Amino acid sequence: MSPVAENYLGITGYVIFWFLFAIALGLFIQRVCLLIRLLKLGRPENRFDRLAYRFINMLALAFTQWRNLKAATLKDPSPIGHAFMFWGLGLFFIAYLVFIGFGSGFGLFTVLSGGAFETVFFSILDIAAILVIIAMLWVIIKRYVIRPERLKREETTEEKITQASLITVIIVLMLLHYGMEGFGYAAYGVPGSWPPLGTALANTLVSAGISRDSLVAVYQSLWWFNYILLLGAVIYAPRSKHLHPLFSFSNMAFKNLNPRGALKTVDIQKKEEWGVSKIQDFSWKQLLDGYACTWCGRCHTVCPAQLSGKPLSPRELILGMKEHLLKVGPDLLKAGRAAAAVPVATGEAGAAGSEPAVVPPENPEKAFIGDVISEDAIWACTTCLACQEVCPSCNEQMNNIIELRRHLQMAAVTETARDPLKNLRVRGNPWRGTMYARTDWAEGLDIKIIGEDSHVDVLYWVGCTEALEDRSLKVAQAVARLMKQAGVNFGILGEEEMCCGDPARRLGAEHLFQMLAMNNIQLFSSYNIQKIVTACPHCFNTLKNEYPRLGGQFEVIHHSQFIADLIKKNLLKLNQFREAVVTYQDPCYLGRYNDIYQPPRQILKSIPGVTLVEMEQNRKNGFCCGGGGGRMWLEEDTGQRISEMRLSQAMDTRVQVMATACPFCLQMFEDAARVKEVGESLKIRDIAELVAEALEIPKDAKDKA
Amino acid sequence: MKNIIVCMKQVLDPEIPLSLFHIDTEARQAIPPKATPPVLSPFDENALEAALKIKDTQESNVTVISLGKKLNRVVVSSALAAGADHLVLLQDEAFSDFNTYLTAGALAAAIKKLGPYDLILCGLQAADTNTGQVGTGIASMLGIPCITAARKVELDDDKVRVEKVSADGSEVIEAPAPAVVTTNYEVGVLREPGVEAFMSAAKKPITTWNAQELGIETAGTDCFNMVQMYEPVQEGKCEILEGASPEEKAEKLVTRLTEVKVI
Repeated sequence: MSPVAENYLGITGYVIFWFLFAIALGLFIQRVCLLIRLLKLGRPENRFDRLAYRFINMLALAFTQWRNLKAATLKDPSPIGHAFMFWGLGLFFIAYLVFIGFGSGFGLFTVLSGGAFETVFFSILDIAAILVIIAMLWVIIKRYVIRPERLKREETTEEKITQASLITVIIVLMLLHYGMEGFGYAAYGVPGSWPPLGTALANTLVSAGISRDSLVAVYQSLWWFNYILLLGAVIYAPRSKHLHPLFSFSNMAFKNLNPRGALKTVDIQKKEEWGVSKIQDFSWKQLLDGYACTWCGRCHTVCPAQLSGKPLSPRELILGMKEHLLKVGPDLLKAGRAAAAVPVATGEAGAAGSEPAVVPPENPEKAFIGDVISEDAIWACTTCLACQEVCPSCNEQMNNIIELRRHLQMAAVTETARDPLKNLRVRGNPWRGTMYARTDWAEGLDIKIIGEDSHVDVLYWVGCTEALEDRSLKVAQAVARLMKQAGVNFGILGEEEMCCGDPARRLGAEHLFQMLAMNNIQLFSSYNIQKIVTACPHCFNTLKNEYPRLGGQFEVIHHSQFIADLIKKNLLKLNQFREAVVTYQDPCYLGRYNDIYQPPRQILKSIPGVTLVEMEQNRKNGFCCGGGGGRMWLEEDTGQRISEMRLSQAMDTRVQVMATACPFCLQMFEDAARVKEVGESLKIRDIAELVAEALEIPKDAKDKA
Repeated sequence: MKNIIVCMKQVLDPEIPLSLFHIDTEARQAIPPKATPPVLSPFDENALEAALKIKDTQESNVTVISLGKKLNRVVVSSALAAGADHLVLLQDEAFSDFNTYLTAGALAAAIKKLGPYDLILCGLQAADTNTGQVGTGIASMLGIPCITAARKVELDDDKVRVEKVSADGSEVIEAPAPAVVTTNYEVGVLREPGVEAFMSAAKKPITTWNAQELGIETAGTDCFNMVQMYEPVQEGKCEILEGASPEEKAEKLVTRLTEVKVI
């Protein structure tokens, strides 16, 4: 008999059941609505395209636990624990819905109980509860005893309470499951030997000779306790500091479906799109990231800025956004309501409609920039995307940083970034003081300039660094040599080429980026360019993923892909034996941004005599050189140098050559190698240089030698 | 409200790489490289920064005047983006980069035409010709004081206060306003405008005058005669001196250096 069918002090259990349920649901909805209204303080952002795909994607990501499980290692197996907890609690959620909601609430208790369905389902729950308890014990050990680096942070009292209470509630609910099973079966009849733990406990209770009345009384008490605890959790969860179980699903559904390397394009004409300085300047999706954050701290422990001792922590940024929103948001809502109550003056202002009549004031006690995140932290980001790669909730930490930079550059360019940005505006390249013209490297190589002869199949987009920076000129020369050797009909833009705009955009100067990009797109169109090869992953990413948003659609190929293809087609014969042990540095903008991991490795493996040794952190987990996000041009005066940390990792592999496929990596490591005085023991090379060295020497040249 | 006038010259980018710099010896002028636009003279950018620093602390109206045969709109209007309020372009075929007398005269005429002013700022010299004559020329033509090579400029009610570096420290000079002050790099690098400044610059007024509108005489003012303009040829010759011992090598080196009169 269901406990709700009983009478308690003359009141039937059903009344109490639905009364408590209504209160809990009401309080739950009230809080969730507030949280959603807080999100709506943010700017609009369209994440409602391809809804069916988004929904399926969310289910796939959440139920497979893929983004979580892929982080599991022998050293840190906690993702497996999370998966057990997720699946286990998922089953319990269904059980609560079916057996409590339908079974007890709608009086279908007798239909559902005692049958094969119950036996099978409860048997599964018996196992699930064990897995959940193990997972929770692991959580306790991990969070309170081991405290690995990623979980170390100064939690507030509220956060501590949230953590402890959620752990306790989950464990108690699991134990209650066994308790109810055992006492229930003991009171109303043991069905057999399944579910295994429930029936075992019931048999023990029966053999202990406890009276049926006592068994029933205990069972009913446990049932009500379970129910009230559950409803308490429903009320508490959205009020706790741990909103991730409620909001990670939606964050996965609204995840970015555009190329991850493409930043949001700002409409320069709209002042309200120029970056973020206040919490309500973020888009609702960016604010949702805060709710979805799991405090897992993975982003914190992979961030090169954080690891090298800079003040940036992607985790603290996201959590800070959430805390700030919860703190000042309710006041902003109130201010918004008060403003809305004031009748808007009729006429032009009212008719415009698109602009909000009154902007609610930010809480003056705590500014976003300065209090939640420091300017130094904002500039410390190398945009390497390691944080987003490891985030199990699909958060977009890096984009927020760019938005904050956009605000800092709004009135005037910050002093630290002034030289490269001014040079970009005035001279179209970030390398102020270069001694080279854009065609100097090509002298004597007989390379077509497209302005003089546009009959080419491929545009070789050299990029500022490879055209203007001393060390990188050699890479441009190697790439050109390879293409000539393979008989590719290519040309360069020469003096007409301008920076692709990547440094400007990553440093927050969106207007400069758009100016440069529009200039280049027009140039490509005027020469009817279809296919572009570049040796710079930053140019590659910008041209491939960001120009289409400004109307420039071209086939863009990175030189690693292009050269790998030439080798595969046997157009480049690599016969010069070069005995060397080589490691490969994955440039962030090639790897994590564009998923190009294999072609450069194929190239290295096809060079006779080369042995490829991987560093511990490679491919998706590759470690940045420190030069991305415009950091190439900023001083690195806090903590360790990121490039030197990575170079040490390369040195640990005891290789002779550190190969890369990016001019920024090349330069950062060349500098680091000088500081660390590695001398000839470790050479830094672009893959194109290694291929050029291994090229078959034409026969006549050999004869001459 | 203070009225500050800044004179800024458009010059061939002094930072272009050597391989792009060519001189037409026949026409006696530098050939502007195709894809490299001109820039505002960095010295004059310092002058604008000095004006904007005053504007940061007191209500001021900053007018930039630029003079040239052919001015690049994008280049000169970057002064508006940096924070100037009004741009006056003096364009005439008769103007030249080297005729500082005519330049100073035209600028003085434009300044008079603009009405009352409190301070005129110029760069120490132009980054192309490096003559340093225009600022003092304007002052003498307007009959007002001139202080050169300032590292700090302040504007009081009726006087201009300037700090400048001297051989044994620094000196502070005061002059009654209005005055001309030429600035050196120590006043600060010109601030680089952000998107907000660029957008608002598009709405700021630009006035264009030619020599006739300025009411100045251009004929007969050409008191300069360019004799020759050429790229200096730099040659390096290397001689290796042999010697059995370091002492012998050193001796030979000293003898050789004495021969070529280096020591």
